[in-house]
Formats: sequence, structure tokens, C-alpha cells
Amino acid sequence: MAEANDGLVSALARVAQGDRQAFAGFYQQTHRAVFGMCLHLLRDKDEACDVLQETYIQVWHHAGEYHCDRGSVLNWMMSIGRYRCLDALRRRRHEVDFDSVSSSQVSSAPGPMENAHNQADRQRLSDCLKDLDERYRSSIEMAYFRGFTHQELAVAMGQPLGTTKSRVRRGLDVLRRCLGT
Amino acid sequence: MKPDNYERNHALAAEYVVGTLQGAARQRFERWMMTSSRLRRQVWYWERRLQPFNDSLPEASPPDAVWHAIEQRLFPGTVEPAAPRWWQTLTAWRWSAGIAMLAVFALLVWTPPPTVVTHYVGVVQSQQAEPLWLVNASADHRLTVKAMPPVQPADGGRDYQLWLLPESGAPVSLALLPTGGAQLKVDLSDQQVRQLLQSRSLAISLEPAGGSPTGQPTGPVVYQTRLVQM
Repeated sequence: MAEANDGLVSALARVAQGDRQAFAGFYQQTHRAVFGMCLHLLRDKDEACDVLQETYIQVWHHAGEYHCDRGSVLNWMMSIGRYRCLDALRRRRHEVDFDSVSSSQVSSAPGPMENAHNQADRQRLSDCLKDLDERYRSSIEMAYFRGFTHQELAVAMGQPLGTTKSRVRRGLDVLRRCLGT
Repeated sequence: MKPDNYERNHALAAEYVVGTLQGAARQRFERWMMTSSRLRRQVWYWERRLQPFNDSLPEASPPDAVWHAIEQRLFPGTVEPAAPRWWQTLTAWRWSAGIAMLAVFALLVWTPPPTVVTHYVGVVQSQQAEPLWLVNASADHRLTVKAMPPVQPADGGRDYQLWLLPESGAPVSLALLPTGGAQLKVDLSDQQVRQLLQSRSLAISLEPAGGSPTGQPTGPVVYQTRLVQM
């Protein structure tokens, strides 16, 4: 909800001014959501701990760079953590467990932080994904949730690399037209 | 990349956020974002739009030691150090120490021919930390790979294929790997030596018998290793 984000914005503003107590409170409010995302992407607790640490180091140094165009504070935090997870995955060039990949990786259990976000945005994304061709949706979801590269997607879906790239590109294009501005 | 191509830039921004824009293209994109406010806004659009994906993930609690480590790094000397936790110890040193120990192990169990001066050594391990292949890169442009006894031929008649992973660009095929205690020597080109010295990274994929038909990995990457200088 907007109130929750307002509270985080206030805390972040104090963090930007070097307020360590505000930083501790900010960590307490947000770290479980960020860590859950890291753990899901990396599937390695040690690496997820490393990325979580790096994420908050970055937040401390760049708190003043947040602004509302980035979305909610948690959205900004998640993006920072997510890009670090992707970096870690690329470095690792992990063994891909293709057999366990399912087309949908969405948990049915909402986390507490979920209530801090705009229900309409979630509904819109959900509706647009439902309308999306299964081939497009699977590619996008596997890339987003598992950090799959084009090459890994191609192998996982048993299709040529060129086809995979086209499907991801086309799927995102259709998704954007559905999501609107 | 053409800065005035709105549609193409949106597509690149989407792939950047999803994560499929990779390698040198991703780095170029990040540099470009630094100078283009329009591009940054396109990225933020995708970050906002796909955020509900993240909301659907279950939360999890990390060890308390993470917060202590953050405080220690940001405010050294002002925070009482916490006792190192198992994950800190393992995470910080696991990779380098593990490789170093295995490299020593490799030298102990397998002494290379006396005429070859070994510069780099790597050990490919199983998930149970069992050494599978020992890799030596020597100064005479030669890569030697020895399969340890546990390595059995892959199921389905497939082959293990060794790839050099350059810092940028596509993987470079080096050889089909031996199994069951056999040894293989691979002569490297000057370019391959340069790439190997830069990245020191190797990967092994499972490929159809005779190797990848495309010249690029087509099967899953099942192992990887990094060479250490001896």
C-alpha cells in the first residue's frame, strides 16, 4: 500500500543523510523480501547471503539516488538485488536443472510485503500473461525467475537458439503493448 | 545501437531487465544508460511492470550474520565484530581455498611429465567434491586433461565436451574429454592461450556423440572450473 512505501521513502531519505538507525530499520523492513528473491534466483544460500550483503552496501551508498520514477522503494531494492543475482548466475554458469523447470514458477503464497504494492499492477501483469501465447510466456518466466540465458532457454525448450531469441523478443513486445504505459 | 530507435531500445531495455541481454551487449547497454535518460526511463518502465513477479516470491530470513557483516563493512571499528558464522567462513574462502587445495591435490596425485613446466592447474569436481578431471595448461601451448577413474562415459552415448569460456564472446571448443583414467593432450593456438590466460575459465557440456554439431554448446553445462596459477 502507499502508506508502506511512504514509510520506506522516509526511512531511505534518512539513510541518504547517513542515519545508521534508519538504515537498520530499513533493513529490518525489507531484507526478507529481497533475500527471498535472491534465494529463489540463485538457489544457493551462501550466494544469496553474499548478494544480500552487496545489495544493502549499495543501498547505503546510493540511497539518495532513489526517486519515484523507479517505482516503489521495494521495487528499486529488488532491482538492485536482482541485477546482482544475474551477475552471480553468469559468473557461476551454473548447472541447469532443466528437468525441474516448469513453465510457471509463481508461488501461490503471498508474502507480507506483497500488500505494500499496487494490486492493480499485479492484476494487469497477471491478465496480460494469461493472454500471452504459452511459448512466449514460458520463455519470459524462465528467464526472469531462473535467470536463464538464451542458450539455456533453447536447450530447456528444445528449440533452436534463433527461435528462442525471437520468442523472448516477440513475447516482451506483446507484453508491453498489453501493459501499456 | 541507434539512440533514436525507440522500439528497438524498448526491446533492449526489456531484455536487460529480464536478464537475457548478456555479456558485452549488456555492458554496452549499461554504459549507454549512463548517458541516456530516455533509456533509463525505458528500463524503469520494465522494472516497475515486472515487479509483481518478485512480489509473488516467498520471503525468507537470512542468517543474522549478514547484517553484522554489512555493519562491519560500512562502519568498521564502530561495531563489535560478530563471531564468524559458518556461511561467512565458507562463502569468503570456499572457492579460492577449495581450488587451491585441489590444485595441490592434483599435483600430488598426478605429476606431469618432467619436460613440461606447469603454469595453471584446474580440477573439475563432481557435486560431491570428487575430482573428475585434472587440467594442466603449460607454457608450451599445451593443455593436458586427465580423467580420474570415477569418470564413466556419459549416458546415451553422449560425449563430454570441454569449452574455453573467454571473457567476452562465445565459448570455444577445445576437445572431447576422455573418461575412465585416460589422458588427453590438446595443442592450443596463440589466441586460445591468450583467452585462457585472461579468463582461466573452462566448462564442460554434454553433447551428442562426436561433439556439438553447431560448434557451440547445445547440451547442458554440467561442470565448470577455473585454472589457478602454480
